[in-house]
Amino acid sequence: MMGDNANKNRPYAPSMTRRDTLKWMGIMAASAALPGLNACSSGAGQVKQVGATAGHWPELALKPVTAPGYGKDPDLISPPSQIWPRTLSADQLNVVAILSDLIVPAEGEYPSATQVKVPDVIDEWVSAPYASQQRDREMILPLLTWLNDEAVIRGGVSYSALALEQQRLILDDIATLNAQTPAAFERPARSFARLRALVLAGYFSSPQGTKDIGYQGNVAIAGDYPGPSDEALAHINQVIDELGLSAYTWTDPA
Amino acid sequence: MANTDFQVLVVGSGAGGAMAAYELTRQGIKVLMLEAGRDYNPRAETPMFNRNADAPLLGSGNKDKDFGFYDATVDGGWSVPDEPYTMDENTEFMWWRARMLGGRTNHWGRFSLRFSEHDFKGKTRDGHGADWPFEYQDIASWYDKTETLVGVCGANTGHEDMPDSAPGVLQPPPKARVTELLVAAAAGKEGIRMAPMHRAVLTRAQDIRQKCLYATSCGRGCSIGAAFQTTTSLIPLAKATGNLTVITDAMVREVRTDDTGKVIGVSYVNKSSGENVELDAPVVILAASACESARIMLNSRSDKHPAGLANSSGQIGRNLMDSTGANLGAYIPALRNRPRYNEDGHTSNHLFIPWWEHDAQAKGELDFPRGYHFEIGSGFREPGAWVAGDFQGYGVEVKEEARAAYGSYIGFALRGEMLPNDDCYMDIDETVTDKWGIPVARFHWKWSENEINQVRHGLETAKKILTNMGAEVGALPDPEEAILKGGQIIHEVGTTRMGDDPTNSVTNQWGQTWDCDNLFVMDAGVFASNPHKNCTLTIMTLAMRNADWLAKQIKQGAM
Repeated sequence: MMGDNANKNRPYAPSMTRRDTLKWMGIMAASAALPGLNACSSGAGQVKQVGATAGHWPELALKPVTAPGYGKDPDLISPPSQIWPRTLSADQLNVVAILSDLIVPAEGEYPSATQVKVPDVIDEWVSAPYASQQRDREMILPLLTWLNDEAVIRGGVSYSALALEQQRLILDDIATLNAQTPAAFERPARSFARLRALVLAGYFSSPQGTKDIGYQGNVAIAGDYPGPSDEALAHINQVIDELGLSAYTWTDPA
Repeated sequence: MANTDFQVLVVGSGAGGAMAAYELTRQGIKVLMLEAGRDYNPRAETPMFNRNADAPLLGSGNKDKDFGFYDATVDGGWSVPDEPYTMDENTEFMWWRARMLGGRTNHWGRFSLRFSEHDFKGKTRDGHGADWPFEYQDIASWYDKTETLVGVCGANTGHEDMPDSAPGVLQPPPKARVTELLVAAAAGKEGIRMAPMHRAVLTRAQDIRQKCLYATSCGRGCSIGAAFQTTTSLIPLAKATGNLTVITDAMVREVRTDDTGKVIGVSYVNKSSGENVELDAPVVILAASACESARIMLNSRSDKHPAGLANSSGQIGRNLMDSTGANLGAYIPALRNRPRYNEDGHTSNHLFIPWWEHDAQAKGELDFPRGYHFEIGSGFREPGAWVAGDFQGYGVEVKEEARAAYGSYIGFALRGEMLPNDDCYMDIDETVTDKWGIPVARFHWKWSENEINQVRHGLETAKKILTNMGAEVGALPDPEEAILKGGQIIHEVGTTRMGDDPTNSVTNQWGQTWDCDNLFVMDAGVFASNPHKNCTLTIMTLAMRNADWLAKQIKQGAM
């Protein structure tokens, strides 16, 4: 299921031109799965079978990103492919890649997150000089460190050196954020929720992800807008009926 | 045409300035247009069809591109480099500007709703604010002419808040999306009727423009001219007459007057060289946007005009109004996993909810005097930096939630009419200048109970409609918290209002200033009130009508 583009023996290979890669993959969309990405991970280390470790959260002295942004008049037709320096280390990028493929594994005809270069999106995002991205940077970078710390506590090695099942066990503790989330996991869980949202965005906005979610627009229509399909109309009429609203069905005045 | 060989100088190239230039040049009058921003060509610069994934940060917005990477706005947004504005202590106002040919028409929402007889005579009806110096019937035919030229799709519905256009004026509207059909049924249960939105989007090809191809958001601009902007329509059409010259990067500093107080021209900064240029002009039309034109007038002080040019009424900068705004949205469980189809359409509202409570207001049943409408946000949008869903865990279950929740949210955006009040105005901050040494605008802002009560009514109504659709809305926010900031809807108007009394208005009904008969204002500054229906169509209608009147004066030798 999972492409292990990111394991210890095959570190995540960043793409400096992720958008160019996507363009190519867009052309190739719906072709066979990309080569060279196998399942299975054989990391080292033994995970202690403990439910929760004592709360810890790294206090990183993150330097603010001070690179310039793209300004108020960038080229919109051909956006520059790299504007500010990427800041994730190889190890951080590797952890992001592992998480990306755990969040969005390959599924049927659809690729995993790393196969559409989502870690590059995350790196661009957390390295960007804008306020909301810098807030995300302050959430996500400590999570990457926390995962390593937690992996050391539980198994004596870094997160990316753990076996896949052991990586999952740690993730299981922080992947649900609700009233039952133990206090010790609340901060990593909050950060993971943010990273998950970004990974989903990176995946579903890729050509394959866009097809996966079922977006059918952005195509030129020669005549009039055709409107809803018969299936969509039948569905909404059923919904309107079930909600007891069919007496108020809208009629076109035109 | 040499720069000195013109009869009318127009400041600004957006909705008002471009329409004025179009109408004047069409009638054979030579026009020089000054634009503070750079030249801009949508045919070459619009990112048609570009995907969010092709943009930095998945196309999301930030301080450089407030409305997202692909938004058409150049050198502007909520801030403009080197051109600050200030705010009074404890008040907040957001001022959207663009520095480009065509101004804000390059990215606007294209909603094009006529003001009605209710709207032009608000004071007569409820005692608040000011009446306009004419009736709806006086400009109905000008709305027809403007809609025909601009190209507006929609339908005549007979709705009391939506005056009909003359037969054949409107272009056919696109079919409703299923989410809009659901809202229509849910609103219908409350006795509230939806109507086709009127938008300045061509659904039939016209002059040098193509029809909409139902894809790629209008906010990026439109390289084929289907979504109206002056840079693909009025400006090239006016240039084709041979009577229009445009100078870009020309930031007007002040309007110049002679010793008798008569307007004799303008001075502007050539932004590329920094040099100051003085131009003589027989007639000057200000259409730089409501607050920019007021700023120019307030900065054009002289012995004859000590409080600012044409400001004997003291009204310049006063009566500043925006639209009220508030949002309420919810997840609609019944829309989960609904059948997919292409919902782009013309990329904005096909149906909306016009104001329906004129009768209740007339009977005194509401605790606010003016109306609002709802714009509806919904649909299968192109995936970008935010994925909808209630996510826990990871893996395929998370993907399934994203697919199920896709297109299952419906949002209501309230846009309402505010009343002018003494706390909302702009003036000049004498302590701050922009890069060119021009004193900047300073804003003062406070919503009144009228707007707060209106927003409360809107939130409660939206909740009823959402609940009818099966949504769990929960507790509503306080209206004081929900109401958006002054200026945030980008409908600022009223700073040089028109009227029929020189003591409480700046211009007459033709946009001609009472104090200087060769100085006109043809942007939203002249609005006597700010109906909830979006200002651009009426800016253009007034500019066409008033430029036609000006052309007649010039031809008769009155100017």
